[in-house]
Amino acid sequence: MTNRQRHWPIHLALIAVCLVMLVPFYWVLKTSVSGENIFAYPPSVIPRDPHPFYYVDVWYAIPFARYFLNSVVVSGLTIVANVVLNAMAGYALTQVFPGKQFILTLFLSCMMIPFQATIIPAYLITGKLGLLDSYLGLALPLFSTIICIFVFKASFDAVPRSLIDAARVDGLSEWRIIWKVMMPLAKSAVATNVILSFIWSWNNFMWPLIATRSQDMQTLPLGLARFISYQEDTTGALYAFCIMVLAPGILLFLLAQKEFVQGLTTGATKG
Amino acid sequence: MINRFVLVPGALVLIAIVWNIFVFTHNHGVVSGRVVDQAGAPVVGAEVKLWVFNFVTFNERGSTQTGADGSFTFTDNPSHNIQLSAEKPGIGRSRIPVRLYFRSEDIVLAEPLRLSRDFDGK
Repeated sequence: MTNRQRHWPIHLALIAVCLVMLVPFYWVLKTSVSGENIFAYPPSVIPRDPHPFYYVDVWYAIPFARYFLNSVVVSGLTIVANVVLNAMAGYALTQVFPGKQFILTLFLSCMMIPFQATIIPAYLITGKLGLLDSYLGLALPLFSTIICIFVFKASFDAVPRSLIDAARVDGLSEWRIIWKVMMPLAKSAVATNVILSFIWSWNNFMWPLIATRSQDMQTLPLGLARFISYQEDTTGALYAFCIMVLAPGILLFLLAQKEFVQGLTTGATKG
Repeated sequence: MINRFVLVPGALVLIAIVWNIFVFTHNHGVVSGRVVDQAGAPVVGAEVKLWVFNFVTFNERGSTQTGADGSFTFTDNPSHNIQLSAEKPGIGRSRIPVRLYFRSEDIVLAEPLRLSRDFDGK
């Protein structure tokens, strides 16, 4: 019995699980082109009379292009800040210094505090900085995330110590060691940072709801809430909106899924 | 530097540019078509109305009369979601929804409005 023949029941089970997980996505996609009510009975697997006009309705019902631009700018800022700041923090945590264990414990314990618990101080700080209702203010709370710092730390830990020592002997500063030596060896960690920070920023609802005041600064999740609040009979258009919001994140993940998985599993088997 | 991270966004940008060029060259708001009777003969002098979707309902935008060959044209459609109605006393009436891919899309109706005496208004 070959290896492939031995594993077919597992593959079959995995395919079945995948199909179960993909059903909600398929349902959203199907409804976005057919507008069928979710309570319709009997439910149809194949969309009846599919057409793209619900997408057109969404495009014109709200200033979609503006919201999309806002989301792109905020996500772009978040991605850049996450890669830079998390790489610096991750590199620092690979070094030996007094209180390192305390810092690591502090980071891990801070992960347990939900964002909702810190939203008032976050708002006050952003307000004091004069960044409310601005792109920078919208991106600020997600500029650095602890999970992503640990992703960089795990990736940097896998780099041989002798390589860093050699760079120091060659006269490179710590700053240049990060960017010239460590980062090229941590592409998976960078991809993981990019994807995670993008998804968190792109789907963020609570913070933009609080930090924005003008309609022009709203992001797509807020646009979705607004769309639901004033449109009647939104079944098809609502699902089309969901697809339009989800598409960039799915596309980014599909583009970089190999690096993403590598980044998350780097250091998983270490020790 | 030619990899999927460049090719995919590049292809998307290219598609967006081509689509926008198409939109800008086909958005004059021209809606034209024909009105025929049950037998398929052109109806002269039928009143055709353009209805534009306005938030929750359709409002009348304009009206015109069909010509000798039963054809009509509107030149100021601002919407992407419209309805067309046609009526001629003694022959009947008709009303059809027309969905467009973008606002003010120029369109020639593939099927004529067919007037009917038993049109129920839906």
